[in-house]
Amino acid sequence: MDELLQEFISETQETLEALAGEVVAWEADPSDRDRLDAIFRFFHTVKGSCGFLNLPRFERLSHAAEDVLADIRAGERQPDPATVSAVLGLMDRIGELTEAVAMGAALPNENDDYLIAALHARPDAGALEAPAADAAQGAAAPASVARAQASQAAPRTIRLPLSLIDQLMNGVSDMVLARNEMSRKLRERSNDAELDTVFERLSTCVADMRDVISKTRMQRVDRLFAAIPRMVRDLGRDLGKRIDLTLEGGDVEMDREMVEMVVDPLTHIVRNSIDHGIETPERRRAAGKPEAGRLRVEARQSGNQIVIMISDDGAGIDTGRLVDKAIAAGRLTADAAARMTEQEKLDLIFMAGLSTAQQVTAISGRGVGMDVVRANVERIGGLISLENHPGQGLCITLRVPLTLTIIPGLIVRAGGQHFAIPRAAVVEILHDNNDMLQISEVGGAKIATIRAVRHSMVDLEAVLGMEKEPQRVPRAIMVVRSSTGMPFALGVAAVDNHEELVIRPASPLVMASGVYAGMTLPDNGRPMLLLDAAGLASVARLPDVVEDDAARRQEEESEAAGVEMVAALRFEELSGERRLLKLSLIERVEDIDTSLFGRSGGQAFVRLDGRLITVVNGYSTFAGDKVCALRLRDGEQETCYPVAAVLDIVQMPLVPDMVALHGLLSGVSVIDGEHLEVLSPFALFASLPQERPDPARQGRCILVESEDGWTREILAPLLRQAGHDVTLGLPAEAPVDPRDIILCNGPDTAQAGEMLGCRVVQLRASPRAAGPQDGSIYRYDQDALMAAIGGRQG
Amino acid sequence: MDNLYLFAILAGTRVAVEASEVEAVVKLTDISPVPGMGAHVAGLSALRSRVLTIVDVAAIVHGLPTPSDRRGLAIIADISGHSYGLMLDSVLDICRVPEGAAPLRGQLDRSWSPYASAVVEYDGHPWLLVSLPAFIDGASAAQAA
Repeated sequence: MDELLQEFISETQETLEALAGEVVAWEADPSDRDRLDAIFRFFHTVKGSCGFLNLPRFERLSHAAEDVLADIRAGERQPDPATVSAVLGLMDRIGELTEAVAMGAALPNENDDYLIAALHARPDAGALEAPAADAAQGAAAPASVARAQASQAAPRTIRLPLSLIDQLMNGVSDMVLARNEMSRKLRERSNDAELDTVFERLSTCVADMRDVISKTRMQRVDRLFAAIPRMVRDLGRDLGKRIDLTLEGGDVEMDREMVEMVVDPLTHIVRNSIDHGIETPERRRAAGKPEAGRLRVEARQSGNQIVIMISDDGAGIDTGRLVDKAIAAGRLTADAAARMTEQEKLDLIFMAGLSTAQQVTAISGRGVGMDVVRANVERIGGLISLENHPGQGLCITLRVPLTLTIIPGLIVRAGGQHFAIPRAAVVEILHDNNDMLQISEVGGAKIATIRAVRHSMVDLEAVLGMEKEPQRVPRAIMVVRSSTGMPFALGVAAVDNHEELVIRPASPLVMASGVYAGMTLPDNGRPMLLLDAAGLASVARLPDVVEDDAARRQEEESEAAGVEMVAALRFEELSGERRLLKLSLIERVEDIDTSLFGRSGGQAFVRLDGRLITVVNGYSTFAGDKVCALRLRDGEQETCYPVAAVLDIVQMPLVPDMVALHGLLSGVSVIDGEHLEVLSPFALFASLPQERPDPARQGRCILVESEDGWTREILAPLLRQAGHDVTLGLPAEAPVDPRDIILCNGPDTAQAGEMLGCRVVQLRASPRAAGPQDGSIYRYDQDALMAAIGGRQG
Repeated sequence: MDNLYLFAILAGTRVAVEASEVEAVVKLTDISPVPGMGAHVAGLSALRSRVLTIVDVAAIVHGLPTPSDRRGLAIIADISGHSYGLMLDSVLDICRVPEGAAPLRGQLDRSWSPYASAVVEYDGHPWLLVSLPAFIDGASAAQAA
């Protein structure tokens, strides 16, 4: 009996979750027979099972709902908003009851009669007194829901207890460890090729198995979305707003635990959007927008991250009011506010207890809780960013890692022991003999000055109370940034390695120390602790004072000089030259077994993480067992660039001192008196073999400032690569076609272009817009650039 | 409650532990220290793919850490979802005592009183009946202090 009951509970809960969205969709389109049938079936099933299981209240509720739905099916009654609300009310009550039964608690003894009465109340009967029908009195039209993916036939599934999967997972981990140990033993003694082959096969099987098992942890984002349509509908009702909801990307998969962690922040953001972002129909009409607000929730996978975007076309955030509030609350001085950039003002929304809402409503006060949202997202290693268009809408992007348990980490050594630290927390790594770094000590406090920015500095050994071991090689200084506090410099004996780490929670005893975030078991079988950057800072009692002046001054200086500087990696090519490459392109530097490199069809490649990655400079044979390689990524494509040695990180001008287009090079820069060739990032990725759809382009892209180095050496190749017809300079004889697009850097050329009667895309060198009216595009924002060109051509 | 007990010497004292609380007794090989922690946490140790937090019971009870050359055996226990290893001096027997636990008589040393509530008579001696979760609580308290 218990088993049957358990089955009934989990089945009911699951169906309820799936149905919530269906009911709302059905309300929007009452003629949708399939949805009506699905809802009817649910109540019918519940009624059938609970009669058998002797749950009279369930039976009564579902019976009432079934009656009404049967009427609707027969066409004797219309599914008006009041009826839908009442049906939803019944579904909620069934959900509550199910939960109560599941927990073995006493059933909440509220009067079900109200709900049933609400269901039977004909809308023409006038007064609706039942609480569930209250919401329905707001005459707002139903929210409509469009799902980008039509519901597909569900694949065959079975239900398994989680503990079983965890057991499987542990078993496989044990297997991997045993394999590693065996591999060590084998290497030590035998030289038997036959045995090695067999072992290799076993290894592959184990690896495959581990992959498959980790997939069982994955869950479709649909689950995350399931509650949204219902919430949007109810909120829209309560607030008298009309909302068009679009959900996209429900089939993206993410870690089960991650789904749980993202539910709350996502719910909060959606609530905020409806309550404060989207205006009332009257106000929207007045602003010349369609009456129904648009809310779009979209999920997609990007590398090992899940990107969730929540965008609305509401009022956006009024940064002016945000600043006023912050000043009024004494959190900001007027002076500081005047110096703030638009983005910094926007970031005030994350300050605890600040809200732009005129009044705090029951639903949300935008800003109240955004600090909590950010803290929650960052706690799981995610990022949150805002894109604000005052009066036009707001787009919030959440980026969360694919799984909670596997994170890229750096292995550091201190006091003869190894520790891991999340790579996301490390901003940069320097050796303490680097010229850019200066360490001074005063009154026991250590200060590391890196490129004119002063950081608090601590040695990891000092924080953890360990002995500092003498060493001959220079120590490594990491600039570490916790999610909340200030960046600080952390001294360790060495940074040893970079690894994907499987993180597991440490016991509460260990967590209580405050400096550890978890632990991991590397292949060598010795447990390793994961450091918590924020915890280290607080245990070391580092001052949490903003010091942005130095950085700001430096930024201003370089801007004043008219040369924008970017960080670049200085390295030595295998052929011996020293070259530079923009640092932001380099995902990581690693030593790769030379045996993994190969060549096929004239193209060099390397086998990494089970994938073939193109070697962009074409090397496939090396002397020695290992070669140092840069792994580059432009967001989607990945490539590998073997080098002889990585030298250091320097600041180079964004536009090389001397522009010289030659193969992969974009020019020459002089750094510390040394002439260094600069690799062209666009050329690098452009040379990768790929199949790019070549849509029929109509107009040409006219690059007005043909003398400008950047336009010539970076922009032009990029556009050509994307399949555009590029012309440098204004064509002398042929008249400008209205379909042509003019790309330019300065506002005056933009005006000139507009006079010629064709569309103009204006680019700017600074990542930040000069003001809200600034319609230009940051010139390294490839996506926006392509969208602008594509959009304007279409 | 099948009156099955593990009899061991823990922090120099004869103790009995209910067998249901004990998952296994293992010989510790390799303990990675956890710097920044008090002496009550001896470190972490891997048991196959599990990571155990090794707790030094002697340090919790008497405040004296066990020297590293005397770290031999540990009781493995799963306490509120985490795996712990509690270091002990030696194991004598696992045995059923039909009479079960008897009330404690006499003045119990203050350092032991948070952990023991009864005695088990076995082999002609009284053995303190201790509860493993109490040691973990004790360690947390020691940390908070």
